[in-house]
Amino acid sequence: MRRNFLLALLISATLFLPAPAQQLNNAGVKTAPVKLTLPVKDGSVRFAVIGDTGSGTDKQRDVGTMMAQYRAVYPFEFVLMMGDNLYGGEAPKDFEKKFSEPYKALLDNKVKFYASLGNHDQALQVNYANFNMNGKEYYRFKKGNVAFYALNSNYMDKKQVEWLESELSKDTSDWKVCFFHHPPYSSAKKHGSDPQLREVVEPIFIKYGVNVVLTGHDHVYERIKPQKGIYYFVSGAGGQLRAGDVKETSALVEKSYDRDNHFMLFEVAGDQMYFQAISRTGETIDSGVIARVKH
Amino acid sequence: MKKRKYLSVVVCALLATTALAQNKSALAPPPISPADKAAIQTFEKQVNDYINLRNKLRENAPKLSKDSTPEQIHAYRTALEQSLRSARANAKRGDLFRPETADYIRRTLKLEFQGKDRQQLRDTIFETETQGVVLRVNYPYAQTAEFSEMPATLLAKLPQLPKEVRYRFVGRNMLLVDRESNVIIDYMPDALP
Repeated sequence: MRRNFLLALLISATLFLPAPAQQLNNAGVKTAPVKLTLPVKDGSVRFAVIGDTGSGTDKQRDVGTMMAQYRAVYPFEFVLMMGDNLYGGEAPKDFEKKFSEPYKALLDNKVKFYASLGNHDQALQVNYANFNMNGKEYYRFKKGNVAFYALNSNYMDKKQVEWLESELSKDTSDWKVCFFHHPPYSSAKKHGSDPQLREVVEPIFIKYGVNVVLTGHDHVYERIKPQKGIYYFVSGAGGQLRAGDVKETSALVEKSYDRDNHFMLFEVAGDQMYFQAISRTGETIDSGVIARVKH
Repeated sequence: MKKRKYLSVVVCALLATTALAQNKSALAPPPISPADKAAIQTFEKQVNDYINLRNKLRENAPKLSKDSTPEQIHAYRTALEQSLRSARANAKRGDLFRPETADYIRRTLKLEFQGKDRQQLRDTIFETETQGVVLRVNYPYAQTAEFSEMPATLLAKLPQLPKEVRYRFVGRNMLLVDRESNVIIDYMPDALP
């Protein structure tokens, strides 16, 4: 009797407790609580990935806000940009509206962005301090046991191909990650795979043991089934979205998402690379782990 | 077990060798006649003359570091564009894409774009949103328009350009554009077959 009374009291009290504040994004849409699937191991290399971001819309800002929320529990050090960093003009106010402002929380916390160029990007972006391109359209940098190669897929000329081959040939890093705009493999209807680019870069990736390739251009998320031992991701909906654009019947896709904008988180710990793709509203849309193949 | 491991190593090596052999053929330029060679040399000389001029003008533009602000980038681009346009006020179509050069490039494009498997390549170029681009020598490529991706297999076959200039497509037209200022240096109408 007494126990029932206490239970009733507890239920009543719960009913009258103020509900926890609902998280709403810039568009007034309810967001999911942060739910990390990455292991957060000591000494791991931690980074985020965004593509096709520079729209300056509420949705881009929502993604930026969600990235900052995830960074509170997963302190990633840097962000890779898959290109189309600034759409429709590059006056100083565009840099502000389409980059500095949406990612202000991250920039304030000294998160570094490493950009690649898309088909909407002017060449002089390479000189912009916050893109960390050091004046170059293609460049390499290393974090822990991972080497990152930013490429310019808009203009893959002989010089760039030779540079890539020369750099990779002497690279002894455990992990080699290439990132650029146009996807060699994609199941999206608008653009899809880029066979001419693939014809030139894929043999080099295979020969020198590139593990993972990150791209954008198609405004969706795709994790492609490994192709000749290489993992390909399309992450092109950081600020743009082409809803319903992934071909449902495609044999290339392992996992796709084309209903909302998204970003990705990665963690490299030894021979494991963990990944998590997160929607604008905080839903985990894909996650998993890639084991390094030793070459 | 050892045998299986050995087999997988052989398969991987074969895969890489085949892929690289295909890669080499994808990048090989078409056979060049002595007349083509002369045309390419003339074109390269014209391009180098342009580079010498633009790099001289660039010295008078505000300095641009690798750690620039958007305002510095804007000031540099504007200054370079204005000085280039003023220094080349009399530039006209065909100054660099002379008839012999244009003929060689057209043949190269025809070879690259023939075959059913190249339909997607044409589609990619034609779907590029280039509204706002005024096809006029010494005018800037509109900043609001996107760039068509230049196919890697084609770039390997065209005459190589210094880093300051770029080939671009706008519909069937091929442009030669200054990389930093986006000023159209020259263009070939109906270059694509």
